[in-house]
Amino acid sequence: MDVFDGILLGFATATTFTNFAYCFAGVVLGTAVGVLPGLGPVATISMLLPFTFGLPVDTALIMLAGIFYGSQYGGSTTAILMNLPGEASSVVTTLDGHQMAMQGKAGRALAAAAIGSFFAGSIGTLFIVIAAPLLASLALTFGPAEYFSLIVLGLVTSMVLTSGSLLTALGMVLFGMLLGMVGTDVNSGAARYTFGTPHLYDGLDFVVIATGIFGLGDVLANLENEHTRKATIAKVSSLFPTREDWKRMVGPILRGTGLGVVLGVLPGAGVLLASFSAYALEKKVSKHPEQFGQGAIEGVAGPESANNAAAQTCFIPMLTLGLPGTATMALMIGAMIVQGVQPGPEILTQQPALFWGLIVSMWIGNVMLLFLNLPLVGVWARLISVPYHFLFPIICVFTVIGAYSISNSVFDIYLMALFGLLGYCFRKVGAEPAPLILALILGPMAEEYLRRALLLSHGDASVFVTSPLSLGTLIVAALLVASILLPQFRKVREEGLQEVD
Amino acid sequence: MNRRELIVLGGSAAVLASTGISFADDWPSKKPVTVISAYPPGGSSDIIARLVADLLAAKYNQQFTVENIAGAAGALAGSKLARSAPDGYTILVSGSAPIAANKVVQKDLSYDPQEDFVPITVVAESPALLSASSKAPANTLQELLDYAKANPGKVNIGNPGAGTKGHICAAAIGLQMGVELNHIPYKGSPPLMTDVLGGHIDFALDAPSNYLPHIKNGKIKGLAVTSAQRLPEIPDVPTVAEAGVEGFEATLWFGAVGPKGMPDEIALAIQQAIKEWSDTPEAKEKLATLGLQAVANTPDEMRVTIQKEIDSIRPLVDAGLVQPS
Repeated sequence: MDVFDGILLGFATATTFTNFAYCFAGVVLGTAVGVLPGLGPVATISMLLPFTFGLPVDTALIMLAGIFYGSQYGGSTTAILMNLPGEASSVVTTLDGHQMAMQGKAGRALAAAAIGSFFAGSIGTLFIVIAAPLLASLALTFGPAEYFSLIVLGLVTSMVLTSGSLLTALGMVLFGMLLGMVGTDVNSGAARYTFGTPHLYDGLDFVVIATGIFGLGDVLANLENEHTRKATIAKVSSLFPTREDWKRMVGPILRGTGLGVVLGVLPGAGVLLASFSAYALEKKVSKHPEQFGQGAIEGVAGPESANNAAAQTCFIPMLTLGLPGTATMALMIGAMIVQGVQPGPEILTQQPALFWGLIVSMWIGNVMLLFLNLPLVGVWARLISVPYHFLFPIICVFTVIGAYSISNSVFDIYLMALFGLLGYCFRKVGAEPAPLILALILGPMAEEYLRRALLLSHGDASVFVTSPLSLGTLIVAALLVASILLPQFRKVREEGLQEVD
Repeated sequence: MNRRELIVLGGSAAVLASTGISFADDWPSKKPVTVISAYPPGGSSDIIARLVADLLAAKYNQQFTVENIAGAAGALAGSKLARSAPDGYTILVSGSAPIAANKVVQKDLSYDPQEDFVPITVVAESPALLSASSKAPANTLQELLDYAKANPGKVNIGNPGAGTKGHICAAAIGLQMGVELNHIPYKGSPPLMTDVLGGHIDFALDAPSNYLPHIKNGKIKGLAVTSAQRLPEIPDVPTVAEAGVEGFEATLWFGAVGPKGMPDEIALAIQQAIKEWSDTPEAKEKLATLGLQAVANTPDEMRVTIQKEIDSIRPLVDAGLVQPS
């Protein structure tokens, strides 16, 4: 099947009434959770996952994907109008977006974000169309050693690129990997760290942990500023960018898209890194860097394009290699496995309708989002003013239902509550939880591939450096670590990440 | 388990015992049934679990949800079943390892398949297939054995999990022919097949279904099948006995079991439904394309199959040939 047939099949799949409707439901829900601070796509998808079990696999995936990239759009609305990031990846958007809003240019900032996101989303999906079949054909050259190195790269990336100290991030990764060890050993069947309780034989379900940390943890953290939160919501004026805005937007959108497309594919990097780097890049190349932080439209267009491009292309390693680069992608894999679909190099030949349908739906979803977020921005602005004392109980109820429905286990609810508390503590001490979740997901995979690679090589660890692909991946990982240990690079990282604190 | 849980459990067991018959009467109308699949999606074991779920769903007009719990040669799934309520709303459909072999292979197994499970039926069986990547240093079983003799400990042979039938067959062939083989466990057939296709591992001994299309298009070499007769789907591939391992014969089977205490009526109802389905021409054809043959024997017959399987593996384990690595 060539690409053209694939796209046709994709349109046929994505435009059935059911899939179209669920795509719409997904992006609406995504925008809503993006707009609402304290409720992110990871928590939302975790909660909704069990409800998709009854849907066909393509429909389920189309909706869940819609929530994910929809939240990238929604996050910018809150960031611009209220100076609150609705989504972690819109943190940088607050810097210039809200300044623009204060100057009465809220509408133009929103337009810059939405147009940038739409362009980036379209290019991102186009990139998947071209790159995914290519990577799938290359995927067979990935053996256990290559997978292991790729996972190491993912973990290192997530560590290097989170805000806060590297040591804290390393600690979070190690803690996550330790949590991943809990359960039954995949080869020998021996129980590890189960303390004799059968509840832990299957290991810790990362959905439970993620709902706890991101869902409940966020609620707890937000309770603190419930009184201070009543920030004013900026008025939305004209939505049409001026000729001058257009001129200033084009470059950042193109650069942001390019950066996002590449960083999305890199495991462990994800959307957050894309928006940070895009902001730093725009500031570097701008002729007026002093305007950044004072309402520069470049500082909105660049990062918003980047995070949405990355939100599309991070599907590539997940679909073709079965390797989840982010917690959201791990949830997507979970949704597929429940339905009997194993992501990996064979997905293109075995599930062409699912693969192409998903990609086409992502493009359709981006079109819907453009309309949802520009003309209807007033509706979303009103959603922000829903008081938390209505919202929080609802979120709590849904996190509990979500955690329980994974394996109908009350133990999981306690576990989720425990990790909610832990998530709150992490936030208090400034430890970013994303590397922990990623390590919890990738740790067991790393172990499996490490053991297999060493068994195949009869214990000879040089396999990791004799395979060019594996060596190259490890060198990139080493360079990343070196880059933050070298003083001048460390300065760059700290500057880039600190601006948003 | 704390005391409160124990009391609750004891209480519900008593309730269950007293209402056992009425429980079986309205099964499975009360809620969706979970079918645990012990391997990742796409392998023979999972395909069979999904076929069983579909046929039961069609017959009873109730949702039968497949839940994949892969790892440790099915032991994760097995322990999950052992901890499930014996109300007929959770069953396990899987290759034989978690139902039999794990008992002797895995020292720390958290359940005893003969004590904690009730047999339902052996759904289907198939030979194991010895296959090789296109880069492998052998085109026949004899060449593989010669190569292994010349390079002791250098031959890697993959299996879908430590203690699975693929592992056991490879160990038995090695023992009979006096060669040293390096057994590499995978988390089921699909990842193993992908590594054979990519040439990351030279040999695999596994259920045939995932390999058949690739043997037909020449991307994977079929070396031998463990059955007494050749597999009709790949008539050019000899049997292990024909290829020089005298008298060797082994069968893989895929069975359904429930947790201890599940009413016999439910076990029989499921067995009957599977039997009816497997007698249809569509079922026979579907199974044949996967290299499988329907069995659908009774719970009592399955109990004997399990005992035989365990008895045949014990000597290999005692000899130190089948060990989780």
